[in-house]
Amino acid sequence: MSEVAAYDPMAAVAGWRYRRARIGVYVILIAVAIYAILPLLVIILNSFRDLDDIAHRGLIAIPLAFSLDHWGVTWNKFCVSGGCNGIAPFFYNSLEMTIPATIISTIIGAINGYILSMWRFRGSEILFGAITLGVFMPGQMVLLPWAITLGSLGLTNTIGGLVLIHCIQGLSFTTLFCRNYYVGIPEDLIKAARIDGAGFWRIFRKIVLPLSPPILIVTVIWQFTGIWNDFLIGLVFSSGSGQPITAALIGLATAGTSVHEYNVESAAVLIGALPPLLIYFFGGRYFLRGLTQGAIK
Amino acid sequence: MTASSISTESNTVSHGVLRERAARWLPQIVLTPSLLATFLYVFLFSAWTIWISLSNSSLLPDYKFVGFKHYGELWQNHRWTIAYTNLFIFGTLYVTGTAVIGLALAIIIDQRVRAEALWRTIYLYPVAVSFVVTGTVWRWIFNPASGIEAMVHGWGWAGFHFDWIASRDMAIYTVVITGIWNHAGFCMVLFLAGLRSVDQDLIKAAQIDGASMARIYRRIIIPSIRPIIIAALVVLLQFAIKTFDLVQALTTGGPGISTQVPAIYVYDLMFQRGQLAEGAAGAIMILLALAAVLVPYGLWRNYQRRREVARV
Amino acid sequence: MRMRGCTAIAALSLSIGLFASAAAQAEPKTNFLSQWDTGSDAAAIAKLGDMFTAAGGKWQATSIAGHTANTLAKLRADVVAGNAPPAVQLKGPEIAEWNETGKTANLDPIANEEGWDKAVAPELLPVMKPKGNWVAVPMNIHRINWLWGSKKALDKAGIKEMPKTWEEFNEDCEKLKKAGIATPVAYAAADWIDATFFETIVYGMDIDLFRKAFVEGDLKALNSEGMQKAFDEYRTLLSYTDKGRQGRDWDAALNMMAKGESGFYIMGDWSIGTLNANKFKYGEDYLCTRAPNNSGKPGFILNSDSVVFFTQKDPDYIAGQKLLAHLIMSKDFQVIFNQAKGSIPARLDVDLSGAGWNPCQQTSQKDLQDSIKAGTLVRSMAHNMTVLQKYRGAMMEVITEFEANPSMPSKDAAQKMADAVEAQQ
Repeated sequence: MSEVAAYDPMAAVAGWRYRRARIGVYVILIAVAIYAILPLLVIILNSFRDLDDIAHRGLIAIPLAFSLDHWGVTWNKFCVSGGCNGIAPFFYNSLEMTIPATIISTIIGAINGYILSMWRFRGSEILFGAITLGVFMPGQMVLLPWAITLGSLGLTNTIGGLVLIHCIQGLSFTTLFCRNYYVGIPEDLIKAARIDGAGFWRIFRKIVLPLSPPILIVTVIWQFTGIWNDFLIGLVFSSGSGQPITAALIGLATAGTSVHEYNVESAAVLIGALPPLLIYFFGGRYFLRGLTQGAIK
Repeated sequence: MTASSISTESNTVSHGVLRERAARWLPQIVLTPSLLATFLYVFLFSAWTIWISLSNSSLLPDYKFVGFKHYGELWQNHRWTIAYTNLFIFGTLYVTGTAVIGLALAIIIDQRVRAEALWRTIYLYPVAVSFVVTGTVWRWIFNPASGIEAMVHGWGWAGFHFDWIASRDMAIYTVVITGIWNHAGFCMVLFLAGLRSVDQDLIKAAQIDGASMARIYRRIIIPSIRPIIIAALVVLLQFAIKTFDLVQALTTGGPGISTQVPAIYVYDLMFQRGQLAEGAAGAIMILLALAAVLVPYGLWRNYQRRREVARV
Repeated sequence: MRMRGCTAIAALSLSIGLFASAAAQAEPKTNFLSQWDTGSDAAAIAKLGDMFTAAGGKWQATSIAGHTANTLAKLRADVVAGNAPPAVQLKGPEIAEWNETGKTANLDPIANEEGWDKAVAPELLPVMKPKGNWVAVPMNIHRINWLWGSKKALDKAGIKEMPKTWEEFNEDCEKLKKAGIATPVAYAAADWIDATFFETIVYGMDIDLFRKAFVEGDLKALNSEGMQKAFDEYRTLLSYTDKGRQGRDWDAALNMMAKGESGFYIMGDWSIGTLNANKFKYGEDYLCTRAPNNSGKPGFILNSDSVVFFTQKDPDYIAGQKLLAHLIMSKDFQVIFNQAKGSIPARLDVDLSGAGWNPCQQTSQKDLQDSIKAGTLVRSMAHNMTVLQKYRGAMMEVITEFEANPSMPSKDAAQKMADAVEAQQ
């Protein structure tokens, strides 16, 4: 590791030591990649296998025959959660819940983070601490209080109720991420802008937002995957055909007395994980942007 | 939503004084809805749970006060003490493991490696996979009869053993490995976002002074992304404390009761067994475990800040 | 676009609904909360929905997979939020517990009208009528104490007949081992599976002990010599399993047996659904029989899924509850559902000789009736049909600890089980 760190990219001396460090870097990258990919591979392979093949040769094996049928079945024929229309309806439910909740909580987090880093006031640190405490609330503990709250607002078993819960639970995370990222923005930038007469919203729009893509991407990934993958809230505060996909699919991992169709369920899980992955694929390039080579220079 | 409505309001108010006053208080006003939500979610919900833990609630909430007896019952239970101990073992290893691996990956990827986007994607995708799925697939992999051990035996190495998941002493480490798998990549991108934001001029200056890259990382880069590291640690800590579906899917708390964690037990008590009060007591104990970490940290930060102020 | 279309349709149907209910009498509707979430289970529930719709009702189902903790969390949240679901799948003592809260609906009128008392297995009556009134409708009867045998493995070891007593069972396991079957007993470790095996052993060694310990929760019985002996037998059985049992699913263990990698497996008859799906055949791949029973009498450990109705204000929902109860108790639904599940109808008057039934299900019905005659029918502790969840949980914790810890003596286990139950009192 120290050799890796010792590599000096600016000097770019092509020597034995440099090459050794480079090889070391790629060995580590490949080793970790295997660790990361192994489980995905298992699921992908199972999604192509026949059920009796899985029964006879176990859950980890190279398929004898590749069949794409299970993917189609999963999408619109699989019997799940009270109907036999596949996972498609639940997939849309999840989108309807996750997209607004992610956008709203990210915007709130960015604004909160901006205030708590650049417009600090007496006690703002304590308030930041209080907001951060929200990330620690155990899900099991808040279920019944949420039930009471949603009940009194008349929002039980609605997508709106789910969005509300995820926004409030999420704003702790988004505020934390954004605030701790914005703290790193040089204060001189803000001071200069204030002297120029720029106000609260103008500084946010013209200076802070252009610097934000890396952290906003992190925040969006976080919120999107967290909300998308949550099953407890989705399970308890939805009803009938309004269930989000993760709640509808927990059958895969539960030890119930039902027949497990591992192939169809594997395909379901893969489709279920696609949206968070896509968010990252498309957001990934914003990482290349460094803070100082943004709009400032 | 709130933010935009307030901004239009501040534009339409034309009286100079009022406008100036509103502008001065604007940050606080904009922050207020979040604070109210936090107050509801963090403080009211906790207070409600504390009250329930002191009540006689069983199947449904019942607000009659009975005192601390449910805490006593909880601590007499063998499964709870195991779960609570596991929380500390798992929490420590998972948080440090994930943070260290995440930071190492971020630094390595920051060395201008080829196909950076590919590596980042491979390492990050696990965070997109739900805990339930993560736990289930790793259970297959760890299982000595179907997973890695069986595979290596298939290659002809009959003496190979990898049966942690079947061992009461080692099973908790399979939970750690799985947890790290899930989040190391996320820590990596969080740190990477931080590393990319470090002022390049500072680094160049240090290089001109002849500092080695290792030294630059230790002295300049890592200290300057400290807030991001703290954010990552907070995120990992809350996962450690809330760990529930991962263990449920991976080991269901077994072998026996050796990998029980408090969140599973609390859920069982509250919902499966209809012992709401005792479950609430468990939830409060989880929050106390958290306080055991956060309070010393807060005090230390406070002490440090005061020392800095004193120096100035 | 999609959302707008949906709301439009919803608004339209809502206004029609309002019109209709204002103009005519109630239009039955329901929302059925159950754990039958995926695959053939979900298909069976979807069929119930089709029947409900065909009878003029408006059907909705909420399915939550797996262990009942999730279903109960949902139920509790709905009750606390002030909208208890019209129909919920609940089991055993939970029915009595929720009945105590006074939130359950009384089904006596329709039960008397349709003569449920005579149609349903007698052992189920106290569960469905905890205080004398019908509050729940049984959907099926599962048998827990099944011994599944692999035809291939048994032939290999020269075992002609499935073992009848635990002694024979142990001898057969030795034979299997000698014949090269390294893992005579297929096993998957989980608290409910451990409890399934263990209660089957206790029942097979001493029926009275089962009743005292697991039905009445008697502390002396829990910490008795008989219980220690049952733990001894359980330890012996575990010695015929492999270490891969940790982290294995129940259906993976079932497949081990059906493929012939193991000789025996003990599990409820929902196994039939999985065996069918994986194309294993009765008589060729697997056999089924009553699990070993030293008394020689017929034996049956029963588990039943049932539906509880919560009091509603909306007359549409009340009408829907009546219709749903009627449909669930109908022979048609009991046939559809149980052919999918591997269980048998909760009604005793359904003929199972048709083609859609598995031979094991036919055996199950016959054994049930024999067992009722012999007075040996019991309800399952492992599957939450006897004691309250808090006692059941305490017992299962000890059983699963014993399973995982080979150095725990039987004596300690029995003592611990009694202590754990006492601590909950």
